[in-house]
Amino acid sequence: MSSGNHSVSEGEARRHKVEGPRKHIVAFVLSLALTLIAFAAVAAGEINTQFTYIILVGMAMIQVFVQLAFWMHMKDRGHMFPIIGIAFGVIVVFTMVIMASYWVWW
Amino acid sequence: MSAHEIANGQLPHEPEKATLEGRNKVLGFWLFLGAETVLFGTLFSAFLALRHNIGDGPKPSELFELPMVFAATMILLFSSLMSVFAVQAMHRNQVKPMLGWLLITIVLGLAFLGLEIYEFTNYVKEGHRMNTSAFSSSFYTLVGFHGAHVAFGVLWIGLLILQILKKGLTVVTAPKIYVSAIYWHFIDVVWVFIFTVVYLMGKVG
Repeated sequence: MSSGNHSVSEGEARRHKVEGPRKHIVAFVLSLALTLIAFAAVAAGEINTQFTYIILVGMAMIQVFVQLAFWMHMKDRGHMFPIIGIAFGVIVVFTMVIMASYWVWW
Repeated sequence: MSAHEIANGQLPHEPEKATLEGRNKVLGFWLFLGAETVLFGTLFSAFLALRHNIGDGPKPSELFELPMVFAATMILLFSSLMSVFAVQAMHRNQVKPMLGWLLITIVLGLAFLGLEIYEFTNYVKEGHRMNTSAFSSSFYTLVGFHGAHVAFGVLWIGLLILQILKKGLTVVTAPKIYVSAIYWHFIDVVWVFIFTVVYLMGKVG
């Protein structure tokens, strides 16, 4: 049954307005641009280290947000529990990173 | 027993969410990803705390080569896009294109793994071994764990391709494809932090 009803399923797809690839291409181009900015900031070299760090972390945060929202469908309906699950993980991660940094360096 | 086919023999729109079993699978997988976030978070925090303790080993800025890291990043980003296309093909009930996109996804995953193995052997030649320093241990643990996730994903998606060939796309197999795509994106998301925190910040100093 998997391939036999090809044309029928395309009709069904049209009725349901299956999402096009456009927003995923946009997410890809955004990810690409953010990656390029991060690598360029390092490859250019001799910018203030602190400033480079801020650029790097900023680009990573934005890219992760873009990928979670579009590619992992987080912005779609009915993603309350996934958001809670991941948010809990992120809270633990930030606590760990901050704790480990302060504990070891100070 | 769950119905493998809907009454009229057609797959519903978004077959991964058509059954309670499928919806629960997706939800459970997100909770698993929350735990994975914590796992990688602890490895990242260990790396961040130890990355300056290089002992007698090479400095990260001498060790890392940006072109190779950039190539690995591009490979993984492209393979993430390929699995997006696979899920879109699944939503259109186009089984053959879906299998094609999945195949490209795992081929790119294998290319990424090959590059990582080449990279690690190079590092070992330059005296950056697992037991060289706290930096090298935490580096290999973090990046190696990510590589192991890629290897598992390649194996998993490869087996799913075989299962689809055997059983076709049903409301039982569709959630597996959807969940494996989310897993693959998650691996790419972790890599975003790895190339930022490990490689680029290591290069800066």
